[in-house]
Amino acid sequence: MSTRHILLGLLAAGPSHGYDLKRRHDERFPQARPLAYGQVYTTLQRLVRDGLARIEGTESEGGPERTTYRATEDGSRELARWAREIAPPAPFVTNEIFAKVVVSILSGGDAGAYLRAQREAHMERMRELTAVKTAKGADLATVLSADYALNHLDADLRWMTTTAARLTTLTAEVDSA
Amino acid sequence: MSDAKTTRARTGGPAGDVRLAWLLTKGSDRREWWRVGLTVVGAAGAAGLGLVIAVLVPMDGQYHIGVGGGLLDQPGTRDGVVVALTLLLVPVFGFLGQCARIGAVHRDRRLAALRLAGAAPPQVRRIAGLETGLACLAGSVLATVVSVAVLLRMWHHPAPLAWAGIVTVALLVPAAGAAVSTLSLRRVVASPLGVVRRTRPAGPGRLFLVATVLLGVSALFVTAAAFVGDPFSLPLFGLAVGPLAVFALCLLVSAVAVWLTGWWSGRLGEALASRAGSAAVLIAAERLRADPWAAARTHAAVLLVTVVGTGFVGVRQALLADLATLHREHSLAMDVSYYSSGLHLTGAAIGVALTIVIAALAVGTAESVATRRRGLAAQTAAGVPRAVLGRALLLETALPLLPAVAVAGVGGTGIGVWYASLTADHLVVPYAAPLVPLAVYACCLLAAATSLPLLRRTLHPAELRYA
Amino acid sequence: MNNGDGKVPLAARGLTKAHGRTEALRGASVELGAGEILAVTGASGSGKSTLLHCLAGIVRPDAGEVTYAGERLDRLPERRLSELRRSDFGVVFQFGQLIPELTALDNVALPLMLAGTSRGEARARAGEWLERFGVRGQGELRPGEMSGGQAQRTALARALVTGPRIVFADEPTGALDSLATEQVMTSLTHTARETHTAVLLITHDAQVAAYADRDIRMTDGVVAAAGVTA
Repeated sequence: MSTRHILLGLLAAGPSHGYDLKRRHDERFPQARPLAYGQVYTTLQRLVRDGLARIEGTESEGGPERTTYRATEDGSRELARWAREIAPPAPFVTNEIFAKVVVSILSGGDAGAYLRAQREAHMERMRELTAVKTAKGADLATVLSADYALNHLDADLRWMTTTAARLTTLTAEVDSA
Repeated sequence: MSDAKTTRARTGGPAGDVRLAWLLTKGSDRREWWRVGLTVVGAAGAAGLGLVIAVLVPMDGQYHIGVGGGLLDQPGTRDGVVVALTLLLVPVFGFLGQCARIGAVHRDRRLAALRLAGAAPPQVRRIAGLETGLACLAGSVLATVVSVAVLLRMWHHPAPLAWAGIVTVALLVPAAGAAVSTLSLRRVVASPLGVVRRTRPAGPGRLFLVATVLLGVSALFVTAAAFVGDPFSLPLFGLAVGPLAVFALCLLVSAVAVWLTGWWSGRLGEALASRAGSAAVLIAAERLRADPWAAARTHAAVLLVTVVGTGFVGVRQALLADLATLHREHSLAMDVSYYSSGLHLTGAAIGVALTIVIAALAVGTAESVATRRRGLAAQTAAGVPRAVLGRALLLETALPLLPAVAVAGVGGTGIGVWYASLTADHLVVPYAAPLVPLAVYACCLLAAATSLPLLRRTLHPAELRYA
Repeated sequence: MNNGDGKVPLAARGLTKAHGRTEALRGASVELGAGEILAVTGASGSGKSTLLHCLAGIVRPDAGEVTYAGERLDRLPERRLSELRRSDFGVVFQFGQLIPELTALDNVALPLMLAGTSRGEARARAGEWLERFGVRGQGELRPGEMSGGQAQRTALARALVTGPRIVFADEPTGALDSLATEQVMTSLTHTARETHTAVLLITHDAQVAAYADRDIRMTDGVVAAAGVTA
């Protein structure tokens, strides 16, 4: 995911400073990994270097010094291009779970037990996300981002269920290869 | 030309249809076997009655017949017997109609699925027609074999006209069965999805309306003919018109009864549903409101038998009183038993009709339980007591029937009183007549109660497993 | 009447049940805590529904025991079981639990009427429950005239209207899309937690199971793996 473009998008609403951008990001994308302040700072500097944003000014109203940034014309054009561009439908899935199943068969481990434990962990996370989204007063952004995560975890779970049912065949295949 | 050829090749022709009909029936529900079995019985009954009529109608003049207390010996009384037998066909048809409903939902879905799978409408009609037609043929053959055997023992050389009648009836019963079955499937053929979703017509069908109007017109014609000229004086024409006119009139009465019951059930359902204090009454009332015509269809024949039965009891009492008077005055041409045996025979015929009608009612109630078995099982699972569901089932029969039987009883008693006033110079009170509707009502409740054991079995949670 | 938290109101041990030659349950054991929402997942034919039928006293197991509030359900007479299902349990199926001829309001009022409440009061209380599940406006509609989600929320109202201690739900969202599923499951779990009602939830959908506090998985008629208590 492109942090550059997300920050550009947040700047589209008007000039803003680093800390404010981080806060708004975490608020808008509740289930995403929270942005580190350092990451916000370096990304803003790169945007300025590439001419997509510029420094609007510096203020220090009774606190630490804050630099305010604003998107440039080029920045708006780049944002529009990115937003229109379709996301590649996951061409290479890095499937850690599958890798662990195969490795545990190769090394004579208990792939079934691993899948059961993994399933439990997935269910636990899904219960947490469901609790977040059904909590009274949860806003739609929270519900939708939790749903996004839930659907992905559910896809993993389905895959684990079918894989668990076919472990014997998989073991034979991996061992004979 | 080539199109027709490929269609024929693809559908496999009539032989393929027979095989398909057989496969579908063989692999189907147990209840569909009930339908086939009861249809055979009903068809045998219809064919048996038809055969007796077919033998009696062409007889002309004096005979000596060992059965029927001499009533079959003379043309006049023989005509009366023919009329009575023709009337008995009405409840038999009613019974056949009820039989067709057993497993009908399942069968209709099956045929609709066949239609969705690409079968042409004529093919679906042929398969359905074959199924019913073959069952009717089996019943007809059964009745014909027995009837001919009995006939040959009593009458060594039956007239050729009697033979022609026998053949006609034997073939007519399966043909009519197939035709009616094909006709009743017009909805499946027209809209297979509609049947899968089980949509129901809101009121009486168009066919029903047309039939009622036709019956009304023919009744008017007969009444007018009775005043203007005397069609009964023409020997053959009179012979045919007499029984047919009474037959048509009875059908008209039953049609009106259907209308009344349907209208009344709907009103009663609405009124009760809004006031019901108990769960059983509420369920029964809402079911009446949802499909008032179901009760009407089931109860039409019951009402007809009630009118005829009540009327007959009144007439019988008046006649017997008359006979007694005449006997005392020694003015009877024949023995009293000659006249009274005719009355007994008519009474027996009405008794038979009542039995058939009650059997049809029992079949109808059982079918209604079987169709709803999954929903009923779900209610029990949710803790609705079986007793409540049983009471609702009985109320569904009892509620719409109560006023209808009362009206039929009053009508029948009226006929009895009117007839008695014609023969006697003093007013005869047919005290036994009001007992008939009471007895009919009790019998109907008993008939409905016969499906309570089925209900008990249906409420088994295993039914929850089927959608 | 109310057991304290953690006390087991419903427990089953070593249940077996055969449907003809198929063995649906082959020694299943399960415990349901007071106010606990427990999901039972598993493939089709793993015995989930039969387990629910045995636990709710709809079916008697061939062997094994079911204990509810100190009573052996598998030994109670049918009359008592029926009473219990009416007063202490509520059931929701995938479909078919509403009487098609009755309005939503009357469907919900029915269990109260069976318990002897007058029609007027039963309807008033039914209305409150429909309100709670967001289908008050559909009160005069019949099941066939409602959407699947509205019908299932009505069914939930019917299951909960008598204030049961346990609700048995067999694939309550099996015929619904994801949005209707979310509404039905949220309504069910919120109400169950507020009223401290235990729920036994049968589902093949992990996203539905995630609404529960805990989940167990059935394979071939036995409980394969007990989940972690939340």
